[in-house]
Amino acid sequence: MIQPQTQLNVADNSGARKLMCIRIIGASNRRYAHIGDVIVAVIKEAIPNTPLERSEVIRAVIVRTCKELKRDNGMIIRYDDNAAVVIDQEGNPKGTRIFGAIARELRQLNFTKIVSLAPEVL
Amino acid sequence: MLGVARLLTSRLNHTFALSTSRLSLLLGSSSSSRGLSSGGVRSKVEAVLNLEEVKKVLSDLRAEDIQIIPVKSQCEWTDFMVIATGTSTWHVRNIAQALIHKVKQKQKGAERLLLPSVQGHEGGNWVVIDSGNVIVHALDEKARSYYKLESLWLTEMAPKGPNQDLEKALNTSASPYTLGYRPLNISSQ
Repeated sequence: MIQPQTQLNVADNSGARKLMCIRIIGASNRRYAHIGDVIVAVIKEAIPNTPLERSEVIRAVIVRTCKELKRDNGMIIRYDDNAAVVIDQEGNPKGTRIFGAIARELRQLNFTKIVSLAPEVL
Repeated sequence: MLGVARLLTSRLNHTFALSTSRLSLLLGSSSSSRGLSSGGVRSKVEAVLNLEEVKKVLSDLRAEDIQIIPVKSQCEWTDFMVIATGTSTWHVRNIAQALIHKVKQKQKGAERLLLPSVQGHEGGNWVVIDSGNVIVHALDEKARSYYKLESLWLTEMAPKGPNQDLEKALNTSASPYTLGYRPLNISSQ
């Protein structure tokens, strides 16, 4: 359940550390974003000397949420943190590696690039 | 053999209304569990790309530096990664289009709906063709050196041995006295 003003961790090596969601893309009046949704976010914290800087506006895909994700087979997945991966307008990830486990729903939502960079797919 | 074919078709009919990427996923899983190269059932399983066709299309289009990585032991969501370099964005897009064309040629009539999902076609720097158990990455030279997919899948994700941290943790929990021994409270005596 990501909404504007939610702070998220970054699950890649793009150089950003913390993001703040400012808008959910895809609907005009939607309240929450879940795994696989694209958000507009501000970089709140960044590693020095990297291409991304603090207070830059970027797009990101949510890859982990504390709110549980239910599957059709009854499986429920819940992560410890809210995390996102920084992407550009075309959907290419800004970083080259992704950290931590991600959900396989991302592949069905056409983020195979992110899935193929991830070390673990749940 | 016939029974398997019937089962497959019924599964396909169920998933007809779903998106194409989902369809290719289902197809991939069913074909990988059964093995693609069984000569008798050549109806629906032929719909997705197999490795030989991908190889042929890529070499016909003169894609450079084609690498085929079997990743079945490292991840459970696919079997093969094919990485190829195109000389320009135009060339990269053409590779994707040729693969789709190949799939379309194989399918007749209503089964034309079974297409692999393509991502990144507008940009043309990195196009992914996701056809279930074979995933084709077509990148231009810059993107290929930036993302280094082959080093990721060949070295960083090389088949790991048993998880050492986990084993260590299990061993220590088996003998609690090594972790720190807390003496009994004897203040009342």
